[in-house]
Amino acid sequence: MECREMAGRIHEFLDGDLDEYNNQLLQQHLRTCDRCYRHMRELQRAIAFVQSASHIHVPADFTDRVLAKLPAPTKSFRFANWLRKHPMIAAAAVFLLLMTGSISASWFERNPVIQVASANLDKLKIDHSRNVVIVPAGTKIDGDIVVRNGSVEVQGEVTGNVVAIEGKVFLASTAQVAGNTEEIEAIFEWIWYELKNIGNDLLPATP
Amino acid sequence: MFAGEDSMEFVEKRLIERAKRGDREAFAELIEIYKDKIFQLAYRMVGNRQEAEDIAQETFLRVFANLHTYDDQYKFSTWIYRIATNLCIDRGRKKKPDFSLDEEIEQGEGLDWYSRLSSKEQTPEEKVVTQELQETVQDALSQLAPKYRSIMILRYIEDLSLQEISDILKLPITTIKTRIHRGREALRGRLRFM
Repeated sequence: MECREMAGRIHEFLDGDLDEYNNQLLQQHLRTCDRCYRHMRELQRAIAFVQSASHIHVPADFTDRVLAKLPAPTKSFRFANWLRKHPMIAAAAVFLLLMTGSISASWFERNPVIQVASANLDKLKIDHSRNVVIVPAGTKIDGDIVVRNGSVEVQGEVTGNVVAIEGKVFLASTAQVAGNTEEIEAIFEWIWYELKNIGNDLLPATP
Repeated sequence: MFAGEDSMEFVEKRLIERAKRGDREAFAELIEIYKDKIFQLAYRMVGNRQEAEDIAQETFLRVFANLHTYDDQYKFSTWIYRIATNLCIDRGRKKKPDFSLDEEIEQGEGLDWYSRLSSKEQTPEEKVVTQELQETVQDALSQLAPKYRSIMILRYIEDLSLQEISDILKLPITTIKTRIHRGREALRGRLRFM
């Protein structure tokens, strides 16, 4: 075998590409040819030297310095990222957003006409001249009474709460109110009231 | 080992997805995985510590800026090595005209610096031998033309397969082999008398 041909086989051998047959030919040749044997050894040594080159490391603050050079994140991204890192706050924020949305909508949409919400509307008397809803003496109202843009005068009995929004709650001496009476005048109180209701709705254990 | 590589790739994929959405923590983890590999490649290509650091930094900045163009059909390592190799070769092209003696001195300092780090438990004689060897290897590499140098570094220092080098450089594997053969012969000529 010619040495010239063997040089190609030596490189194939070093790349792990040599098949068994050609490997046999090469090994036989290397046993008899000093020149090719030396050539092979020198190539292997050169590879080993390169592989032995020390592995160097970047300075400890490398990553921080790269991060500092990144373009500033957009505000919307920063907010989104912050939310991603604080899922509970994110949930609370969404909740609050939706709630204030619907609450303020219900606040701003109100009209100046007196509005009453009760399960026993038929038993209530409405005095339009004074803008007062009256629970007549001797009547019993089941559940809450909520009056908007007006006052409530309770002479009879209410098993729930009595709430007057932008109005007053008057209790006669004969009045019996099982729940609370509330007068709500400012939007914040209104929101607070709605939130409290949500809380009450969410908490099942109300006696 | 293969299972390890697979899970590594899985972790990497997750990090890339997060980084694509602009998550800096995920990007920082990607830097941690690749910083030394890229720095090593750059250092062996340019032979200068400061410049290698600049190239490594630039590599990661480009990776970040172009993450949206990364196609995850290919290995991430292939992509990042390609960016780094191209930066090294571009840098070499720009630098050639004003190559100065100062840089050669810096080169020596760099070698001195890392051999000091890497040879904590060696006797003084061994230290000298190691340092000489390191300098000789770096010298032999720097005398290769960049198209050979990059391949020899990717093959024998970064320990990549011929297939991956072919993917990185977008050259047929036969071309890579030819260059490796020539690169080996050139290194043999320079390191023969060690």
